[in-house]
Amino acid sequence: MKAAVLRYRVMAYITGVVLMVLCFVGIPLQIAGYPAVANDVGVVHGILYIIYLVCAWMLARGLRLPAKPTVIMLLAGTVPIMTFIVERWVTRRFINPALGEGSGQAQPAAGRAGSLKP
Amino acid sequence: MENAGPATAAATEAPDEGSGPVWRFLIQPRWLGWHLLMVVSFFGMVWLGDWQFHRALSGNGLSWAYTFEWPLFAVFAVVFWAKTIRDEFRIRRGEIPDPRAVAAEAESLPAGVAGAVQAAGAVQAGAAGGAAPGEEEDAELSAYNAYLARLNAEVKHHGRWHGLR
Repeated sequence: MKAAVLRYRVMAYITGVVLMVLCFVGIPLQIAGYPAVANDVGVVHGILYIIYLVCAWMLARGLRLPAKPTVIMLLAGTVPIMTFIVERWVTRRFINPALGEGSGQAQPAAGRAGSLKP
Repeated sequence: MENAGPATAAATEAPDEGSGPVWRFLIQPRWLGWHLLMVVSFFGMVWLGDWQFHRALSGNGLSWAYTFEWPLFAVFAVVFWAKTIRDEFRIRRGEIPDPRAVAAEAESLPAGVAGAVQAAGAVQAGAAGGAAPGEEEDAELSAYNAYLARLNAEVKHHGRWHGLR
């Protein structure tokens, strides 16, 4: 599971950075009459997004996320800045609970719940 | 039928042993909505691929990349959808523990954990209703407790989720 989280995170950040370059550098340059950056970065983002989709999907399945968060995760790779926001949200809401890495209070709970095993 | 696409693909995958009613969840309004969305997005992506193909033919070299990318996305949609439905079949046949049911079952655990598990159920049900983000710390604590309970219930299936299946 940790490997899936790492894969997802790495791809979320790479895809997010490339998409921001595309939107905040490539497109202004394209409007200014230099389409080369937008074209090349666009293709790169397209390829990275395919990998991102696979990684995000595998994590979503591993965590057994409901349909809506899954769709949000998958589509985040197409909206500038969104990958970062969604990555934080998914981490706080789903990944940390699944890995048992809540902040602060979760630690004493570990002993309590751990002793419950029948 | 509007769910002709990915839904039938998954339905043929599922053997008859479930004695009928198992597949009924597929025609619940919520699932029909998702089927419709998937079918529309599938044909939308195929159409976009076709459009890029024609642009590529008329001399736009960049469009070649998207000519292959859009159909690939369409295939992804079908595969993801088929697997989602297959998982749901497995949950309903009891081959995989239902995360929601496990949470409910854990309510019978000793006091300290019971309330916690409910909150975690809300976390798992996630998108469906939306858990109150207000009680954050408690929710995290509970989620962790519920996770441990769920792990207990899932030991038999250990390993299934570690990688590609």
